[in-house]
Amino acid sequence: MRAIGKGSLASILAMGLNIIRIVLWIGFIGLSIAVVVIPFASVIAGMFQGFGGGEAWVDGADYIQIAYQFVSVGVMLFVVTRLLEVLKTLRFGSPFVKENAEHFRTVGYALLIGEGAKIAFGFLSLITSADIEIDTQPITWLAIITVFVLAEVFHEGARMKEEQDLTV
Amino acid sequence: MAISVKLDRVLLDRGMSLTELSERVGVTIANLSILKTGKAKAIRFSTLEAICHELKCQPGDILFFDDEDSAAKAAQ
Repeated sequence: MRAIGKGSLASILAMGLNIIRIVLWIGFIGLSIAVVVIPFASVIAGMFQGFGGGEAWVDGADYIQIAYQFVSVGVMLFVVTRLLEVLKTLRFGSPFVKENAEHFRTVGYALLIGEGAKIAFGFLSLITSADIEIDTQPITWLAIITVFVLAEVFHEGARMKEEQDLTV
Repeated sequence: MAISVKLDRVLLDRGMSLTELSERVGVTIANLSILKTGKAKAIRFSTLEAICHELKCQPGDILFFDDEDSAAKAAQ
């Protein structure tokens, strides 16, 4: 399979990531609407009571749940956007640039924040009735470390490429 | 960098232009320009050999080591 160009793995990955990005944006907009609507949930439910709608009870746990979803979707959007930037440089034929090392590093930090938030919200759910599990997998931490290793490899690769370009 | 390139001075002494040197040694003007302006990070022995052959000079006529610059960098 070709590395760059039409039908290459990079272009297929970029297409997939673009679809994921659209889905995530829809989710993000949906969550934003939910934040605005939730305070009026009981009012809206009351309006539809005559049409078979029930009562809606909103408490702090719902807000914690939404805040958690916001962080999750935000982190995923950030990671997908950074990966698309990396793929863009690959499609242009020069992936070993310092920007990509920075992209991978920020992806690593974003994943760290995402995983940290997952644990933090999990603990927060213990004191509320929010349904968030304190669940973290070793494979996730291994993936985060892998991203940081990749960032260092790209940093060194970019330096070597620059040196090669400036060798006469 | 502590190593500086004095290619422009040797070219002036020989009355040769960068374009002419580029044609003679088979290195692009862009690459020779990188070398002349001191932006180069490394130089191949083959390039140095070709330049010295065409300019009838020694590598030491083109490359200079600035010990003070090197010491300043080491101190940083």
